[in-house]
Amino acid sequence: MGRIPRSYLLNRVVTLLLTVWIAATLIWIIPRLSPVDPADIMLGRMAAGAGAVENADQILERLKANFGLNDPLVVQYVKYIRNVVIFDFGLSTATFPTQVSTLIARALPWTVGLMLLSVVITFFIGNALGALMAWDRSPKLVRVAIPAAMVFTSIPPILSGLLLMWILAAKLRWFPLTGAYGLTVEPGWTWGFVQSVIHHGFLPALSIVIVTFGFWALGMRGLMITVQGEDYVTLAKAKGLRPRYILYRYMIRNAILPQITAFALKIGLLVAGQVLVERIFAYNGMGKLLYDAILDQDFPVIQGVSFVIILMTAVSVFLVDLVYPFVDPRVRHDGGEA
Amino acid sequence: MNALNVTDLSIDFPTARGVVHALTDLSFSVARGRRLGIIGESGSGKTTTALAVMRMLASPGFVSGGSIRLADLNVLALPEEEMRRARLRRVSYIPQGAMNSLNPVMRVKDQLKDAIVTHEGRTEREVLRTRIEDAFAGVGLPEHVGSLYPHELSGGMKQRVCIALGVILNPELIIADEPTSALDVVTQRQVMQTLKDVQQGIGAALILIGHDMGLMAQSVDELVVLKDGILVEHGDMRRVIVNPRHPYTRELVASVPLVGGESFLGNSSVVPDVARPREGLPLLEFENVHKDYGGITALHPMSFSLCGDEPRIISIVGQSGSGKSTMGSIMLGFNPPSKGRVLFEGQDVAGMSPLQLWDFRKNVQAVFQDPYACFNPFYRVDHALSFPFRRFGYATSDAQVQDSMHEACRAVGLDPALILRRYPHELSGGQRQRLIVARALMLNPKLLIADEPVSMVDASLRATILKNIYDLKDRHGISIFYITHDLATAYHVSDFVMVLYKGQVVEAGPPKEVIGDPQHPYTQLLIASIPWPDPDRDWGGTTTAAEDIAALDASDRDALTVFRGDVPGFRLDVGA
Repeated sequence: MGRIPRSYLLNRVVTLLLTVWIAATLIWIIPRLSPVDPADIMLGRMAAGAGAVENADQILERLKANFGLNDPLVVQYVKYIRNVVIFDFGLSTATFPTQVSTLIARALPWTVGLMLLSVVITFFIGNALGALMAWDRSPKLVRVAIPAAMVFTSIPPILSGLLLMWILAAKLRWFPLTGAYGLTVEPGWTWGFVQSVIHHGFLPALSIVIVTFGFWALGMRGLMITVQGEDYVTLAKAKGLRPRYILYRYMIRNAILPQITAFALKIGLLVAGQVLVERIFAYNGMGKLLYDAILDQDFPVIQGVSFVIILMTAVSVFLVDLVYPFVDPRVRHDGGEA
Repeated sequence: MNALNVTDLSIDFPTARGVVHALTDLSFSVARGRRLGIIGESGSGKTTTALAVMRMLASPGFVSGGSIRLADLNVLALPEEEMRRARLRRVSYIPQGAMNSLNPVMRVKDQLKDAIVTHEGRTEREVLRTRIEDAFAGVGLPEHVGSLYPHELSGGMKQRVCIALGVILNPELIIADEPTSALDVVTQRQVMQTLKDVQQGIGAALILIGHDMGLMAQSVDELVVLKDGILVEHGDMRRVIVNPRHPYTRELVASVPLVGGESFLGNSSVVPDVARPREGLPLLEFENVHKDYGGITALHPMSFSLCGDEPRIISIVGQSGSGKSTMGSIMLGFNPPSKGRVLFEGQDVAGMSPLQLWDFRKNVQAVFQDPYACFNPFYRVDHALSFPFRRFGYATSDAQVQDSMHEACRAVGLDPALILRRYPHELSGGQRQRLIVARALMLNPKLLIADEPVSMVDASLRATILKNIYDLKDRHGISIFYITHDLATAYHVSDFVMVLYKGQVVEAGPPKEVIGDPQHPYTQLLIASIPWPDPDRDWGGTTTAAEDIAALDASDRDALTVFRGDVPGFRLDVGA
């Protein structure tokens, strides 16, 4: 243990860069295999707006030139990679001529704020409940109530979201129906705005939590049952340690290790996973951006959002790789398990 | 006053198929300073007794009668909180699975610290530190071990940590549940003697649970023999071993294979009924095979050639870490040598075509140590037996497959009607191990690599399984490499013995010479470490064991191999 050796760090960084590069390349290749031409779509949209477009062929040519579609593929690819490095994904075709990076920058804080918070909360609640379900000293009520609560896990998020909206927003009027903040407040670092954001974020967050906590709880329960049978837990009891101490330091501490890895993967997927939640709550985050972009066949935005998703996954896995040896001493920095 | 009084103790396990009586009317007592052994096979109720004394019986087991008194404490009537406080402080438990008994994510010293602090409250840091250091010193562990994590310790070291933990609060009673079953003989002797020393040092009573009569003879004063949860014999250890009254005790004493003495294999003058025409090339050859793992030498260069005209059993003996299993996996082609070549019938194993490899796999079979891990739990036994049989093209019809399976089962003493339709988890360890032998037998290989085939089965079964393996050579003409740390069995089954120490063959020759009259200090140490079921035989004190090892380490590393004679059909060369 101790400090992370340079070779290990280098290894991880190279892996990270390689992953991101391969992903960026795939994102570039896949739309090019599609028969749909984004320039055609833009023209179609213009036609729909103005009735008819003069000089359609010229405009099409200009657009293709602007998007660099007339260049040889190699040139397009090199340009693309150079732009990716500075997070430049070009212009959105649906909301032309907005920069894709601007759209993402606008949506990202909302998603990261809401999603990250709800994923973290879910992780803690789910694992705590899972541990309690498996612990032989939990009160009976806990062991009956939690599995009952798991029913929510089997409800699709879209349904539970609607259910929560109907009960808590439409009927009880405790929370607003949709949006990320009230229409009457001015965005900024004011108390009123923060309050409004929390108020608006509560329902979507809750719908994510109740739908996904079961994933963690069931996983944790299984891990706890395995750990409960380990010899070191038997010896801990024979040492006369207090049951609670055994629960924390001997059982949860060991059972949680695989969950941490799963957590890293979840963080990366949180954007993609909660598209529908953002959609039904009209929450202007990355999920909604992606959803709209797919409907509009807005390739630059789809590419940009996909890239951000991959980047988040890769970075969170990278971070867990760095942290893991400190949580589990058996994982040595030279990569192998002891 | 006795440290422990157990009176008429009965323990039941209600199961779906009815109540299982794990223990029936067991009574015994042990005084402070004395050592009591509880011996029996797996399932005899030994560990159940230990857990009952700790009041840690696993659900659904419960005490259905009797009493347990720990000096003045009535264990069965104590409130839970008081029982918790009594654990470790009054009675400590040294568990069986030393490999896995320490929390993998905590430093070793912290696992002693939490025990002290729980029982004695906040203690000054300096005091804690010295106490833990003293505890480690008491079991012969260097100081720095405390800052390590469990995975950084060897099995023997982990077991010492458990002993240090067991005595740190000076309990009146120590229960050690097979504390050395996962260790090799040399380490076993050291650990056992450490345990005896610290027990005498604090004057506690010791209950030693085990299945090895030899270990009992060298370690305890009094012996309780359990069979199916019933005490069959109880008395002074010397009396029980020298003059056993119950037939089961006699069987246990007799089942310990001895170096010298009578062979447990019986008369073995059967002529092989399979004649193996040879095409002149040796069956298996090592050509200067050398293995290292990242600069650490696991196996020094060695060459041998097993001709295979006549079946031979070659034993490879040594402690854990001596390189014997590495040798086995190299022979099986699972582990390519760093240098040198492994030849099977003249063909380099590393350069085989898929077809040749298929033929190699068919002809070279393996029996591994862990009979639990060798079966896919999802398939019934008949599938496990018939799959490789069909795969290797032996099957001509379903009836013939059935016949072969039945024949193989009977050859290893199992009733095919009872066994074949079962799942592996419904069988005992001994049954599974015999099935693995049966599976190998069905494929009619030319060579069998048996890596510790009996180290995980009860003593009374060892002889049977070894007999099964021996029959492979005798009746079926199969040559065998027998990899083991058990010199007594190697003495009886093998034609040739190689003693491996730190990856080097230190002594080799026929077993009567090598094991019967060892010349190399390492072989001598191995023999001296075997616990004999003879109370009068000196096992040496703690210092002897340590001195022997120190002497060995000091001795010339590059000393030449001691060759003690040859056996036709096998040739060994050591060194490049």
